[in-house]
Amino acid sequence: MSWVEVDHLSVKAGAATLLSDVTLSIEAGTWCTIIGPNGAGKTTLVEAVAGLRRVASGSVQIAGQPIGDLNERERARLVSLVPQHPQVPAGMTVRDYVALGRVAYHGVLRAPNAGDHQVVESVLERLSLESFAQRDVATLSGGERQRMVLARALAQSTMVIVLDEPTTGLDLRHQMELLELLKTEVADCGLTIIATLHDLTLAGQFADRLVLLDQGVVVVDGPARDVVRSRELSEHYGMNLRVIDVDGSDVIVPVRH
Amino acid sequence: MRAGPPTEQRVAFVTGVTVVGLVVAMVCGLVVGPTSIGTWRVVGDVFSHVGIGHSTLTGLQSTIIWQLRAPRMVLGLLAGAMLAVAGGTYQGVFRNPLADPYLLGVAAGAGLGATIAIVDVGSGVSTPTWTPLLAFGGAMIAVACTWLIGGKGLRSNAATLILAGVAVSALLTSAQTFLQQQSSANSITHVYLWLLGSLASADWQSVLLVVPYVAVCTFVCVLSGRALDAMSVGEDESRSLGVRVSQVRLIVIAASSLGTAAIVSAVGLIGFVGIIVPHIVRLLVGTSYRRILPISVIFGAAFLVFCDTIARTVMAPSELPLGVVTAVIGAPVFVVILSLRRGSVR
Repeated sequence: MSWVEVDHLSVKAGAATLLSDVTLSIEAGTWCTIIGPNGAGKTTLVEAVAGLRRVASGSVQIAGQPIGDLNERERARLVSLVPQHPQVPAGMTVRDYVALGRVAYHGVLRAPNAGDHQVVESVLERLSLESFAQRDVATLSGGERQRMVLARALAQSTMVIVLDEPTTGLDLRHQMELLELLKTEVADCGLTIIATLHDLTLAGQFADRLVLLDQGVVVVDGPARDVVRSRELSEHYGMNLRVIDVDGSDVIVPVRH
Repeated sequence: MRAGPPTEQRVAFVTGVTVVGLVVAMVCGLVVGPTSIGTWRVVGDVFSHVGIGHSTLTGLQSTIIWQLRAPRMVLGLLAGAMLAVAGGTYQGVFRNPLADPYLLGVAAGAGLGATIAIVDVGSGVSTPTWTPLLAFGGAMIAVACTWLIGGKGLRSNAATLILAGVAVSALLTSAQTFLQQQSSANSITHVYLWLLGSLASADWQSVLLVVPYVAVCTFVCVLSGRALDAMSVGEDESRSLGVRVSQVRLIVIAASSLGTAAIVSAVGLIGFVGIIVPHIVRLLVGTSYRRILPISVIFGAAFLVFCDTIARTVMAPSELPLGVVTAVIGAPVFVVILSLRRGSVR
């Protein structure tokens, strides 16, 4: 079943066209990663799916509901966001930060109820954050911080999560750990993931489907194994890319001309 | 290095101490003055008004307490509470530690309104009775202009609104300066005295005029704490969490500005309370606006009454400008708390 429908979507900023006639249909419980060179429009696309961009034309629907017609609270119950550079308010505890994911349910005037607390504790446990729960968010390392931001998104209890370069600033081990966590959530909870990633190897290994975007236009869209082997990948990145099979996994490496 | 999030015990302790400070400030506000009336006699008189015991005050002493000191003390409570909570709310909604209640042009608008009222008298022999009305009108018009200029309100972002506030303030201040330059020296003195802020003209009528504004606006500001906490992650992120940022900003700015305008029209421009009190409270109870705002209400009320007691007594029978006292007391207190909090986590 198609869960996210992006239909002839165009986004403009002044005279510049950031996305042009993008059409995607993403199945429930799958992982779709948007790849492409800098300036391709990846962030614009995920922000549009999250309802944070005003669209010039076209539409985004999640579970059959047009995102543009929903208010913030309704939208936040359908799709959650892990931004590339999350703002971390110093002085807030990790538990309070993760609990922000429940605002869409209890509103900004009421306190979270027992059910909200239960969801927060469950997410903290699933992401092994219980021991950090009372820590100041500003004291966390990069890896812990990204896990915390993911926890906030999971606390929103949405069926769709969009992630904009979630591995930015993490070392290799923490990148793998974070993406494995996400993969587990997809498998266990049937989440639909739409992510942008710069690392083509990780993109190819974790996503079910890759969408290559360049200059706001979808160039290639298909199963990850096919897209990483496509001729267009090298062309649009403007470099020589090779795919090496290592124990059944694709590793994409650049080769000097 | 930063201090960790505060424990519930620490928050409860700070709240308790602040409430005790408020009671002490209120008693000082009634007891301290050029006419010496014993503390227990004043306290006994207060209790006699609620049917407990009987008063031992003379008629004159009762008049001093209930017609001079009490309205002044109550207006001080209202002004301190409103300015502090408005400052804290502005700091939260604009995510800017330098924000104060005058950020969007309230001070400049009220200043121009008051100047028009005072200069218009011609001789400038006194501050006319319609000064509060023009000050209030000027403040509200200034904020409305800021809101309209700063990206048509709902679509604007925080930075645009602040810049619009700076522009509106600059324009209105220059108009006020021009008017002052055209007026007599006597008028300038009255304008200057008004701008410094004072509780000297407080009476029950001015208290009754500002009570509804302060009650409603303080309530709305305190209620916004949870929304401001959610907005501490930035506009886009908080929208993705389900916060209706534009609506929250509109409501919070309207409440803060209206309450501040009402207070400024009654007591003039009292500086420093709106910026320093929320910061002191933040250092004591952490960064959550759910805690900062209600405690700022109590702290601000106590702080301003305490400062006013000093302002009207240290150089009696003349008075020190209240804004000077709030700065002289507030700045060292802030520095001491800041250094203690840093020291505690080294």
